[in-house]
Amino acid sequence: MVFNEKIVNPADLRHVSGKIELYWVYTSGEAGDAFFKKLRDEGKFIAAKCKKCGHVFFPPRIYCEFDFSETEYVEISGKGCVLAFSIVNYDSDGNRLEEPEIYALIGMDGTNGKIIHMLGEVESEKIEAGMEVEPVLKPENEREGRITDILYFKPVS
Amino acid sequence: MAVGKKDISAPPYVEGREIESDNLEKEGVTYVEDHPHISYQFTAGQAISKFLNGLKEGKILATKCNKCRRVMVPPRTFCELCFKPADEWVEVRDTGTVETFSISYIDPDAKPLDEPEIVAVISIDGASPKMGILHKLGEVEPEKVYIGMKVRAVWKPESEREGMITDIMYWKPLEVE
Repeated sequence: MVFNEKIVNPADLRHVSGKIELYWVYTSGEAGDAFFKKLRDEGKFIAAKCKKCGHVFFPPRIYCEFDFSETEYVEISGKGCVLAFSIVNYDSDGNRLEEPEIYALIGMDGTNGKIIHMLGEVESEKIEAGMEVEPVLKPENEREGRITDILYFKPVS
Repeated sequence: MAVGKKDISAPPYVEGREIESDNLEKEGVTYVEDHPHISYQFTAGQAISKFLNGLKEGKILATKCNKCRRVMVPPRTFCELCFKPADEWVEVRDTGTVETFSISYIDPDAKPLDEPEIVAVISIDGASPKMGILHKLGEVEPEKVYIGMKVRAVWKPESEREGMITDIMYWKPLEVE
C-alpha cells in the first residue's frame, strides 16, 4: 500500500502562495460629506436634528430613522464626554507600541450621538468615564476632509 | 415608545445624487480609500505535492488503482470510483492529446493581450482515457489547433524548475518535430 509512505518532511510538501487584489473608494454620502467639508473648511462640527421629534443625530443623517422625516444641520461645539475607553498597547500585528494609544467612546454634547476617537495630552491613569473632552484639529492647511482631521480629544482645561 | 404604530408622513425615499470619478479627483466629494493586503497559501496535499516534486525532476507522476486499473493524473490518494486507496505510483509520458481548447485574447483584468494565449485540456499518454490537465499550448498558430492534436510538453531548463505546474512552460504540437 503506497499511501502508507506519506510525505513527512514538511519541505517536500508543496504550497502555492497567492494574493487577492482589492481596492475601494468609500464616499461619505450626503450628510457625511456636509460634516467633513465643514470640518475641513471651517473646523466646526455639525449634527442633524430631526424636524419632528428633535432627535439630534451625530454623525449627521439626512433623515430621521425613527419617524422618516427630514433633518436639518445644526452646529455643535465638538466637546463631549468620555463614556468608555480602552488603552491599546499593541498594534494590529501584535507588536508592542512605543506609546500606548487611548481609544474612547465620546458622547457629543448637544446630540444623541457618539464617536469613537483617540484621546491625547492625558496620562492614561487619569482617564475616567465622565471626563469632559474637546477636540484638537489639524492645522487648517493640512486638513483633507477625513476623520483623521481630528488629531485626538483632550481633557477640557 | 409604542411599537408598530407610527405616524409617518415623509416620502419613503430620499433623492440620491449621482457622482462621477471627476467628483473624487477634484475633491468635490469626501471619501476614504483602502487597499487591503490579502494573501493566502494553498497547500497541495500529499498526492499533488508528490506530483509537483515529480515535475521538478521532469516526470509526470500518476497513481493507479489496481481494482479498476485506472491510471489517474493529476494523482489522487484514493480512487473515487472504487472508493478505496490508490495502490501505486506510475510515471506517464509527457505527450498527450488536445481534448478541448480555448483561445484567450484578454488577461484576467480584461485587458487585451499582445499575443493570444491558447489554453487546452490535454489528456496525457499513459494515463487512462480523458485523464489529464489544463495547460497552455505554444509554438502553434491559434487557427491550426484542433481537437485530437498530439502535443508534447516543453519543460523549463532543469535549473529553473521549482516544483510548480509552470515547470512545464507549454505544450507544442508533435507534428512539427
